[in-house]
Amino acid sequence: MRRRSGLQKAGPRNRTDQRAELLLGALACVVLVLIAGMIVFVFAKAWPSFSHNGFDWFSPWAGGNVDEELTNIFESPANPSQFVYTMHAWPLIYSTALITLGAIVIGTGFALLSAMFIVEFAPPALQKVLEPVVRLLAAVPSVIYGLIGILVIVPFVGNHLITQGAKDSVAGVIGLSGASWGVGVLILTVMITPIMIAIVVDALRAVPIGWREGSVSLGVNRWRALWTVSVRAARPAIVAAAVLATARALGEAIMLSMVTGSVGFAPNPLDGVIFFVEPARPLAATIVDNAEGLSVAPFEQTLYAFASVLLVSAAFLSFGGWYIRRRLRRYTLSPI
Amino acid sequence: VSRRGIRLLAVIAALSLVAAVPAAAQAKKIITISGSTSVFPLETQLARAWIKTKKGKKYGFRILQGGSNVGISDVAKGRVSIGASSRDPANGDPGGLVFTKIARDAICIITHPSNHLGNITAATIKNIFVGPTFTNWTQVPGAPISGSIDPIGRAPTSGTHDAFRNIFLGGTNQSSPPVQAKASNGLVQQGVQSDPDAIGYVSLAFTSGVNVVNYNGVACTLRNAASFQYGGVRSFYFVTRGAPVGGVKKFISWTLHNKKANNIIGSDWVPLH
Repeated sequence: MRRRSGLQKAGPRNRTDQRAELLLGALACVVLVLIAGMIVFVFAKAWPSFSHNGFDWFSPWAGGNVDEELTNIFESPANPSQFVYTMHAWPLIYSTALITLGAIVIGTGFALLSAMFIVEFAPPALQKVLEPVVRLLAAVPSVIYGLIGILVIVPFVGNHLITQGAKDSVAGVIGLSGASWGVGVLILTVMITPIMIAIVVDALRAVPIGWREGSVSLGVNRWRALWTVSVRAARPAIVAAAVLATARALGEAIMLSMVTGSVGFAPNPLDGVIFFVEPARPLAATIVDNAEGLSVAPFEQTLYAFASVLLVSAAFLSFGGWYIRRRLRRYTLSPI
Repeated sequence: VSRRGIRLLAVIAALSLVAAVPAAAQAKKIITISGSTSVFPLETQLARAWIKTKKGKKYGFRILQGGSNVGISDVAKGRVSIGASSRDPANGDPGGLVFTKIARDAICIITHPSNHLGNITAATIKNIFVGPTFTNWTQVPGAPISGSIDPIGRAPTSGTHDAFRNIFLGGTNQSSPPVQAKASNGLVQQGVQSDPDAIGYVSLAFTSGVNVVNYNGVACTLRNAASFQYGGVRSFYFVTRGAPVGGVKKFISWTLHNKKANNIIGSDWVPLH
């Protein structure tokens, strides 16, 4: 960075540079305006749904059946004064949080350990295979994971892991067909881990070699040097990786709509082991499943309300990630 | 853009000009259709046949999918000339729309291939999908299996859901949960195929690989639907803003009255007469 700005100062400002600067600046401004416009648009569309429900929209204690509410909103009379807006979206919000958190917690652990293995312990030949494969996996479209989930994993879980007794115990309340939030977490973890591995590998590589060599020369073994020096120094990058992966997990719609069971149900941890195979449906999947209903005004507004919740969560995630990275950077000299 | 890139662009532009000239010379009027995925295969076949007729020669078609409600909303906003719908007119529909019935389609009740349930009555279906009162296959008369029932249905916004509710459930909504609300016919078919305890409802075209159950003693087949013996029959509509005019009117009246159109409808669906 420093060298480039030095170059710029030395000579007279180049015409091409000037033009490029203007063009890129204009593009950046367009992006900003687009984002601001999108946020305003989504919130303006979503407002009636929030204002009619107040805090009940988010409240875990509001009760009610989300799918019934969606049906009633969809069947609102055509007269705007009679529009139905009642929506207690807690099961959807809860499912979103449950699936995202589950995948991120498992995925971060896996990604960290695999990245450490790739950087430090894998033989060079294996390293050469592993890295491109990881990067390839990160680029697989989500619908392919969804297909694998619905054709292989969901039937396997439904037919081999769930006992008839378990199915009977909740019969009439929910169906345990294998399509569940647990399967959603499993596949989502597989989807987001490669991105995190790729980022963490780059970060671990970027830690100055002297730091680790220094600790090794003091008699520390490779594992401890890696864990106490490299991983510590790469913490901001690990947070960045987790934030990026969370954003992808939050917005994942197609795959989750295919494997999580398609019912607005809040899985209950008190149910014991069954909890992990209970169906759910996160916000993004709800939007995809019901996108056909956009022609009905109050229904459209409700879907926009789901979208705005996702938008706000993503924004908070970015800010939170940025803040944590800033705090962590005080203790490290991480180049990331 | 490099010089090579510019040359490539120029070649592409020249080629597309050449391709566009004959199309522009004929100056066809374009009829646009959007809407139901269930009606899509039918409307494409109809359009293909019509543009070969004397009247249809002057017209071209642009056909998109998206779902019944998308079609209805598009035509109400004037984005397309015809909206295709597989559901009946509803309360929330925009005013001023004209629904013209063009064909019928059967909705079948399906179970896992290992569950050779022979017949199901309207009352039993209601007990399974509403409430639900029946939660175990032992409660279903004639069911060869035991175990809890996994009912699989469609999202409330789908045309198939609307038809199922009106025809099979007498206007009451399915209870969801436990009824899974899937986003498409194909997902219901797949869900039923992979779960021995499942029961679901799909359009007649999505019944391969599953056990199709007789409804009130009548098999779900094209012939039974055509002869009005099968009860689970819904309608397909072409929706227009106001009464159809011009080319749209000609196309719709050809669809309704021409013998060839009737044969096309009869190949996979049920003609009106």
